[in-house]
Amino acid sequence: MAVALPEVVEELLSEMAAAVRDSARIPDELLLSLEFVFGSSAIQALDLVDRESVTLISSPSGRRVYQVLGSSGKTYTCLASCHYCSCPAFSFSVLRKSDSLLCKHLLAIYLSQLLRNCQQLHVSDKQLTDLLMEDTRRIKGAAGTWTSKTEA
Amino acid sequence: MAEALRRVLNAGCAARPGEDGAAGPPLLLLGAPRSAQTSLLFAAALEAAGEGRGSVLFVTRRPLQSLPLSTPTAREHWRLQKVRFQYPSSIQELLQLLASAHEAPAPTPSLLLLDGLEEYLAEDPSAQEAAYLAALLLDTAAFFSHRLGANGSCGLVVALETQKEAEADAPHLALLKRYFPAQCRLQPDALGLGQHCCLRASLELGKLSPRTEWSVSFLPCGEMKVTPWLAQASKLSPEKKDSSAGSQSLTLGCDNLPGPGSPSDGILTSETGADSKT
Repeated sequence: MAVALPEVVEELLSEMAAAVRDSARIPDELLLSLEFVFGSSAIQALDLVDRESVTLISSPSGRRVYQVLGSSGKTYTCLASCHYCSCPAFSFSVLRKSDSLLCKHLLAIYLSQLLRNCQQLHVSDKQLTDLLMEDTRRIKGAAGTWTSKTEA
Repeated sequence: MAEALRRVLNAGCAARPGEDGAAGPPLLLLGAPRSAQTSLLFAAALEAAGEGRGSVLFVTRRPLQSLPLSTPTAREHWRLQKVRFQYPSSIQELLQLLASAHEAPAPTPSLLLLDGLEEYLAEDPSAQEAAYLAALLLDTAAFFSHRLGANGSCGLVVALETQKEAEADAPHLALLKRYFPAQCRLQPDALGLGQHCCLRASLELGKLSPRTEWSVSFLPCGEMKVTPWLAQASKLSPEKKDSSAGSQSLTLGCDNLPGPGSPSDGILTSETGADSKT
């Protein structure tokens, strides 16, 4: 992902990647650091990775997008090139209040990359377009309820 | 895209960084209404079209009323032929265009330009929809870069009209800046009034990088003159020869500049009129 994370997070993730490469496991102290930075999202993201909830979807064009199966059974779409997730926590805590760096789904993508348990799915170019547009329809549909909920 | 615009602005001086084909970070071009954003985007399109690295995708809500045909570079038809224009009429159509960019036939653009983002934001999208639009713009440019592979990367420049004083009220601007850390602001320069319209262009590539400034002026003959801000204070037009740039001073018809209104508007309208015959 091209969008830069704070240096401290980049460093933490690369240390975790190195640990996985060397010993195939992540030491507790790095997990504690992860929890320190991301709070409860860290455990939830690790849980998503354990359940193999992250799928990298690609089409013959080479375009890619991630889908993460949330704990509620809902699927969220995350872009591969920059930080965007269709979940409510991303809109609220990351975009609106800026009190989180990432939602648990985006963090799960980073973690699944370094733990190499990302599922792969190939679809047609047209299907990938539909997938990216499906998201806008969902946003439209959710917009009304979301506004009333946050203003209440 | 920051690089494509910087090349236009840098054409007047010798320094031309970023020759390695890197596109630079995605850039938000901010300016008050009628601050020549379209002219600058168009100049960036022609500049990129001349680089031999693929085509340019120019997205705007409605067709340009007139192309600045007096531009020497615009008279080179092969440049214009490499600029593909798309006119999505609503935010939904714009999202569709971006989401299906990977289905579009070759050639792959090396520069993606969006003019008049404010017109799409006028549809009052939710914060999430605005964020998705910004993210999808970045994702589309990243996909084009991926497809260009070793031939370089695809730049992205998005023009948004906004008044600096009213910026706090501009819908979703804070959110957009999150996706576009590099910004270029166009401001009218009071000193220029009277003789010609003068703008000050300030480019910041990120929070920590230094600001670079240029003076962009529109001369009575319809030319656009770009000089580094500091240099122009002492000497208005450093006539340095830079043959590789090929566009030391760009002649633009200022199509998007002015209807009557402010003093500078009047001057530019007459310029545009004088140009329109050519």
